Amino acid sequence: MGRYVIKRLLMMVVILWCAGIVIFTMTYLTPGDVPRLLLGAQASSETVEAKRAALGLDKSYLSQLGTFMVNTFVKFDFGTSWATNTYIVSDLAERIPRTLILGLSAMVLNVVLGTLMGIYAAINEGKWQDSLVMIIAMLFVSMPDFFIGLLLMLLFALKLGVLPAYGIDSWTGYILPILATACGGMAVNARQARSSMLEVIRADFVTTARSKGQKEGVIIRKHMLPNAMMPIITGVGGGLAVVVAGSPVIETVFSIPGLGAYMLNAINTHDYPAIRASVVFFALFASCAVLLMDLCYAFLDPRIKAQYSKGKKVKDK
Amino acid sequence: MAENNKEFLSVKNLEVIYTQAKKIVHAVNGVSFDLPKGSTFGLVGETGAGKTTIAKAILGILPVPPAKVQSGEIFLEGEDLLKKPEEEMLNVRGGKIAMIFQDPMTALNPLMTVGDQILEVLLLHNNYDKQEGMKKAGEMLETVGIPAERYGEYPHQFSGGMKQRVVIAMALACDPELLLADEPTTALDVTIQAQVLDLINDLKVKFGTSMLLITHDLGVIAQTCDNVAVIYAGQIVEMGTKEDIFDHPTHPYTNGLFDSLPNMTSAGEMLKPITGMPPDPTNLPSGCSFSPRCPYATDACRSGDVPMKEIAPGHFCACHVKGGK
Repeated sequence: MGRYVIKRLLMMVVILWCAGIVIFTMTYLTPGDVPRLLLGAQASSETVEAKRAALGLDKSYLSQLGTFMVNTFVKFDFGTSWATNTYIVSDLAERIPRTLILGLSAMVLNVVLGTLMGIYAAINEGKWQDSLVMIIAMLFVSMPDFFIGLLLMLLFALKLGVLPAYGIDSWTGYILPILATACGGMAVNARQARSSMLEVIRADFVTTARSKGQKEGVIIRKHMLPNAMMPIITGVGGGLAVVVAGSPVIETVFSIPGLGAYMLNAINTHDYPAIRASVVFFALFASCAVLLMDLCYAFLDPRIKAQYSKGKKVKDK
Repeated sequence: MAENNKEFLSVKNLEVIYTQAKKIVHAVNGVSFDLPKGSTFGLVGETGAGKTTIAKAILGILPVPPAKVQSGEIFLEGEDLLKKPEEEMLNVRGGKIAMIFQDPMTALNPLMTVGDQILEVLLLHNNYDKQEGMKKAGEMLETVGIPAERYGEYPHQFSGGMKQRVVIAMALACDPELLLADEPTTALDVTIQAQVLDLINDLKVKFGTSMLLITHDLGVIAQTCDNVAVIYAGQIVEMGTKEDIFDHPTHPYTNGLFDSLPNMTSAGEMLKPITGMPPDPTNLPSGCSFSPRCPYATDACRSGDVPMKEIAPGHFCACHVKGGK
């Protein structure tokens, strides 16, 4: 198990390098003369050239890439923002917590509610409760999150006036964006949970549990749910990455100064170091999420755990 | 004791239907039989004849819907199980009646250790604390020939035959009075079949359990049963002691079953399968269900119901032609 985790961590490093190379190359290839864009049309060509040299943009692609990779992955330094001249690391440190609060709470909410909805639909398969849950899920899954966000704003901020429509002056500011982010994922999770519950609901071992005289509630909790968890967890892993990467939209709608809004702003101002830093963080977050999901599999399913520690077992024999 | 014998398990006119996309599947059509205490009763018939449905109906674990017990009574020691409230049935299941399932590969929860799965049923029906329960579960494993040290292993670490032993240990853990064995050896290969069958037989004697054995294998019946019922399209067509059925098979279907066994003494002979297919349970033929495949069928067979007749003491047969007058 330990060996497996180490192997996966090493793979994660490689993945982050690749993500770094890709995002650097993409920003490098983006058309537009960056020093000119930064300084404006009135600036003299000497000033522009001086700026170009100061930013290191006069060097070759490979030398720029090398500098970026060494700074990012060896010194953990993303440099200063081209647009605001602030330290990117401190910018990130300020903004990442906000995005994480938003993303993680939305995730917890959508996993818990979505899974419960799915289970409820599955055990009432074919009845009106099932149809109701599926209609709600269908609605949420087909509405974009910014649209749900705007609807929530209209209702809770404008009509009822109980929650702020934007900003994070107090914790209540987080409620609407979390709800808006959670709805889509909740619908996806509900559908996933329903279909994987239906798969185990007729499984033979469930009949076995019934033949033991076990109560229906315990059968659902102890026998059905753990066996239905695998596909749900896969959904959560993917969903986690999507929720955080989707934060630019929701953060913009609700004016939350998080990482997503930061990245969006950096793109608009051609602030390449800030874009690269944000993308590398998103990649780090996504690969952590996936690793965590894989470890969850092993924790839940002894068969997968046995596979992970296969190398060790062969040696034992 | 003698008078209690007849009273132990008694199924009367059991009728079960499944509703499938507006079609009604007649799975069990008026099945009646008695199982005396301590004996083994064999239900033999081909796939889809309704054997498993009968067992599940006795245990009250039919999936409702689509299944529905249309009519009938199931008496266990004088109490109608079909009328018992669900909370009381929870105590019957696993406690008084236990079931061994057909496919050990899927009958165990893959995410629970085998020991914990035995422990689950022990804790449900006894006042053990966890420690005592675990000790008892280990003993049960030993009883079926698995070292108690394997308590903490998962089903995927066991072979098919070993898994079936675990299922048997689970079924016998609470010392049930009635054991429903639903094709307990079908999914196992032949060498293991004999071992598992011997084990079931030994434990049945050791624990004094009565058993309803469901199978399509006449060899298994010969090895284990006292009484046999041959079931076709959800109806019992012939019933009697093992000797009645094996020495004097009377119903054309029973004879067909024996004829389709390979003959080990004369080489090179063709098998004689029963011609035709089992009837569509959504649309059973009128009269005797077997009449379309029966070489002896007459017009009388195809029209009215065919009642069971006692052709010899304790030997019943439902046939106009062969059942005697």
